Amino acid sequence: MTLTATTPTRPAGTAKPGRRRGIASYWRFYLALSPFYLIFLVFGLYPVASTILLAFQKWDGLGPRKLVGLQNFGFLIEDSTFWLSLWNTVVLFAMSTVPTLVIAMTLAVMLHSAVRFKGVYRIAYFIPNITSLVAAAIFFAAIFSTNFGLINSGLRALGLPTEDWLRQPWGIKIAISTMIVWQWAGYNTIIYLAGLQAIPTEQYEAAKVDGAGPFRTFFQITLPQLRPVVLFTVIMSTIGGLQTFTEPQVMVGNAGGTGQSGMTVVMYFYNQAFFNNDYGYAGAIALSIFLLVLLFTAINWRLLGGRGRR
Amino acid sequence: MELSRRTVLAGGFATLLGGTLVGCSSSMDTGSTKKNAGGNLALWCWPGGLGKSVLDDTVAHFPDQNIKYSEVGGDFKQKLLTTFNGGSSIPDITGVKGEDIASLLPQANRFVDLKTIGGDALLGDYLEWKVKQATTLDGKVLGIPIDIGPTALFYREDIFAAAGLPGDPAEVAEQLKTWDDFLAAGVELRKANPKAPIVADATDLYGTVVNQGTSRYIDKDNRFIGDQDHIRKAWDTAVKAITLKVDGRALGGSPDWNAGLDQGTVPTVTGAAWVALDIKAACKTSAGKWRVAATPSGPANFGGSFLTITKNAADPAAALEVIKYMLSADNQAKAFADAQIFPSAPAAYDKPQLKAADPFFGGQAPIEVFGPAAKNIPVAYEAPLDAAIAVHGIKLVQAGKKTSDAAWAEAVAKAKQIGKRQGVQ
Repeated sequence: MTLTATTPTRPAGTAKPGRRRGIASYWRFYLALSPFYLIFLVFGLYPVASTILLAFQKWDGLGPRKLVGLQNFGFLIEDSTFWLSLWNTVVLFAMSTVPTLVIAMTLAVMLHSAVRFKGVYRIAYFIPNITSLVAAAIFFAAIFSTNFGLINSGLRALGLPTEDWLRQPWGIKIAISTMIVWQWAGYNTIIYLAGLQAIPTEQYEAAKVDGAGPFRTFFQITLPQLRPVVLFTVIMSTIGGLQTFTEPQVMVGNAGGTGQSGMTVVMYFYNQAFFNNDYGYAGAIALSIFLLVLLFTAINWRLLGGRGRR
Repeated sequence: MELSRRTVLAGGFATLLGGTLVGCSSSMDTGSTKKNAGGNLALWCWPGGLGKSVLDDTVAHFPDQNIKYSEVGGDFKQKLLTTFNGGSSIPDITGVKGEDIASLLPQANRFVDLKTIGGDALLGDYLEWKVKQATTLDGKVLGIPIDIGPTALFYREDIFAAAGLPGDPAEVAEQLKTWDDFLAAGVELRKANPKAPIVADATDLYGTVVNQGTSRYIDKDNRFIGDQDHIRKAWDTAVKAITLKVDGRALGGSPDWNAGLDQGTVPTVTGAAWVALDIKAACKTSAGKWRVAATPSGPANFGGSFLTITKNAADPAAALEVIKYMLSADNQAKAFADAQIFPSAPAAYDKPQLKAADPFFGGQAPIEVFGPAAKNIPVAYEAPLDAAIAVHGIKLVQAGKKTSDAAWAEAVAKAKQIGKRQGVQ
């Protein structure tokens, strides 16, 4: 910090950076960067620190806070609803992420080779992502509703038995994950498309010369080249998927629907904090979500070989 | 695409915890009761919480108070708590919703006990059971009720009559006196019209029966009583609707419910006075075919709200004057005409705005049902944690996933677990 002009200039090629100037002399750059860090400090770091602190306290939202040590985590371990919500979240994550990414990849490859109306398709696929979540959830609840829903009307027209979607544990999960797929497939398509366009055409030409078919080209050139992009989408989907909240909340209500099968961890945490006024316990749940995201990200990293790819 | 483990993890960390919990917490000391400066009187309520004409009239009536009204949308209670924690810009007068009042009673020190500023004289004008909801166990009165939500049975006269059930409200009330009568009528209705289950949704029915009782899930000694007969009775009533196959499974407010009201697949709604607005909004072809009768097994309350004065009020006595004016019987009748805000002062029930016949209900004056209901609502002690440990689980029976007994055992165990965590015995 205090190293200013007195620091001797090192010769180039040594381990440390060649020249060192004091932070003070870079003040313009730091000033230019500061808005992000200030906002992050207030709206990012402070809440994080405060949530961690809260996890060790008991607080009803208004009265005095009381330090309770690890009590909240003790409750967490024996809380069957917490484990159920964790299970629901992971199941929903698997049920939505896999189809989302497969559909997105398919669409991206198709879009990449399409010639006409490319821009129109891109916008069309992206629109679900910017649609209001609540509006979309209400819409999907209507599609899946029992008596007047679109899906059941279709099944009825085909002479098939109808299903009470939003009242059956699995029906709830199918409805929620369908909505997540609908919303995120287009977003990931655009990202894959960008990745596809970055692959040099020479590689494809070389493959063609070598006589590779479309499948072989896809699996030997496209997919390996897209690996960092896939890793990015998987990790973003993990972070998003483990925080699923609005879709089930609007579709099946705060309690999570039949047998709480639509209750995700974030919903449970929201209920504990803002419904039951148990902020400390909610803080503990929030921390557990964080650890879960960390764990899943690490798993993804290993599986998709993010290691060493710098 | 350059991705390092560190940037990704940092990104996840920020996204994850950033927007979550503590946006709404605080580091301020509690109980900071810095008084608002005199001159302005800040008033908070949610959209539609006070009648528009009443509000305008009140602002004009107290020019010296310079009333600043803020309409606070979204999660009202949360925004109020956040403001309390923030310690500044706290309103002088604020609305509190009926479902939130119980959880705010332990924070009585944030509000002015109306008895200390001469509010006693006013309390007699309002329904006793409603005032009790805003009264702490040691007798502090925190709020004057804005409105209440007495329940009634809304039903389709045409569908009842076609199935050989009585159509006239008085006869319906006479024949469907209890839930057993109601469910028996449902079986008859099903025979004549299989598409019209008499219970809109068994889960809602369970809630209504609980609301009809004189005790809830926690007693005054902070003991869990949610596993006792009064709750089990509500549970069994709902299960009976399911086993008799008169349960329509159309949860209030859902798309099926909305469409069913007009198309006749939801022929009845047991709901508070304000539900009339929702029914009217959903019905286009069936206007004039609806009627209102007394709730089977007696009235219950659902909803209703209060006006409270915070400790930060510059001049609590003046604030009380404003509340007194705004919630006078005359103004309550006006608010009812404005936005179906059902009066909490019985004197308002005789006003012309309430006595008016409603063409949607075939010219019936709904007050003839709601008025007596409002006066006869049972008083049940609602503990601050009541909503947190309510017994849920009817849906598992409804979906055919569990037997009634198994679902009950599970639901009670879950409620007890939450109770134990929160310090309920």
